[in-house]
Amino acid sequence: MKALNLILIIFITSSLHAQELFVVTDPASNVPAGSVSVRLSNSLFKEIIEDGYNYHLMPEVTWGISGKLMVRASAFVSNRSNTLYAEGGSIFTKYRFFSADDLHSHFRMAAFGRYSFNRADIHQEQIEIMGHNSGFETGIVATQLIKKLAISSSISFEKALNNIPDYDFPAAQSSHATNYTLSIGRLMYPKKYVSFKQTNINLMLEFVGQTLNENGKTYIDVVPSVQFIIHSQGRIDIGYRKELYSNMLRTAPNGVYVNFEYTFFNVSK
Amino acid sequence: MQMNLKILLIAVTFITALYNVNAQISKAEIVATGLTCSMCSNAINKQLKSLTEIDSVVIDLNTNTFVAHLKKDNKVSPRILKERVEKAGFFVGSMVVTMSFENVEVADNNKLEKDGYSMVFVETKAKTLDGENKVKIMDKGFVTTKEFKKLSKSLSEYPTYMEGKENDYHVKVLLP
Repeated sequence: MKALNLILIIFITSSLHAQELFVVTDPASNVPAGSVSVRLSNSLFKEIIEDGYNYHLMPEVTWGISGKLMVRASAFVSNRSNTLYAEGGSIFTKYRFFSADDLHSHFRMAAFGRYSFNRADIHQEQIEIMGHNSGFETGIVATQLIKKLAISSSISFEKALNNIPDYDFPAAQSSHATNYTLSIGRLMYPKKYVSFKQTNINLMLEFVGQTLNENGKTYIDVVPSVQFIIHSQGRIDIGYRKELYSNMLRTAPNGVYVNFEYTFFNVSK
Repeated sequence: MQMNLKILLIAVTFITALYNVNAQISKAEIVATGLTCSMCSNAINKQLKSLTEIDSVVIDLNTNTFVAHLKKDNKVSPRILKERVEKAGFFVGSMVVTMSFENVEVADNNKLEKDGYSMVFVETKAKTLDGENKVKIMDKGFVTTKEFKKLSKSLSEYPTYMEGKENDYHVKVLLP
């Protein structure tokens, strides 16, 4: 907790710009109305029980229905069965229900929900409906921007269902969990904007945790990442996820993310 | 020589009068709130540019100021511009519009009807507006939340201000 406070103080006292386009969490802000963004997420995680790496490919399309409401569809592809295999998909929606904006600050809150289906085998206690389990998740997220510093935190309930048709959720495991996140981001470059064509470089630090509701087993990960915003329209994220603490079974907790995203503005009215 | 000068003066007045027949917003200076990233600014930029009545948008990314230059004879109201900023996911912290007036007498609490909307002058001394003038919109949604709280007190003497009707704009004439 002390280390956490220290990190917070470092971010707060630095007078640099901040970003909230986080890599592993979503802020309370949405994508602009009428815009469509396409993301290709890649992750490579090291197996700790067997040899080798898990590769997950996740194409996503996000659409801003209005300034307050967005939807996202995702597909999950992985090589866990030794060949690239489409395992499932997901639909996500987020509604921003509170905004208090000022010239150099904002506080926003949003509610979100996600439903996923997945046909892969269930191989760990960790519940992850983004690419591993069928199930749903619902929660709220709050994002604060103070003098160009962005801090975002979320809490959610996640419930795993059977991975139909072949894999029932193991009865001995907790099928629901509480997730909590804390994300901090800041802009490193440029210090002064000149044009939309400037590449922006952001540094992010995110903490992601889960507690299984039925047995209290918990993990906490840290995800430092660097992000490049290109021509104010494209985005590349490079992140590393590292387990800080865990007392639950996880088959591949540590790994890297490489994401590519491009936003098409004003696609729909 | 004097004759020529007179003709020139008449001509200038005539041309100016013609130009002012349609008093429309020619320019809007919008400060957006709640953003710090160039991708966010770009979202507002694209929203504004998607309005066909807008000719060009000049942006200061460091202050989040968007100066929209509008085409002649447009029918854009301040609300249309505000809605564009909100569609991008942000809010208006300040909006100053440049409008042409043709010998319009204004006084405090005077209402000026325009096509589609009306303007009530607040904190304004009686004067004649002629030519291009800048007016700041004081209504809720056109100022920051903090500023609106202050204005709710200082402008409480204007009965229409607190009514907050959609097509009533309360404006303050800025010194040139």
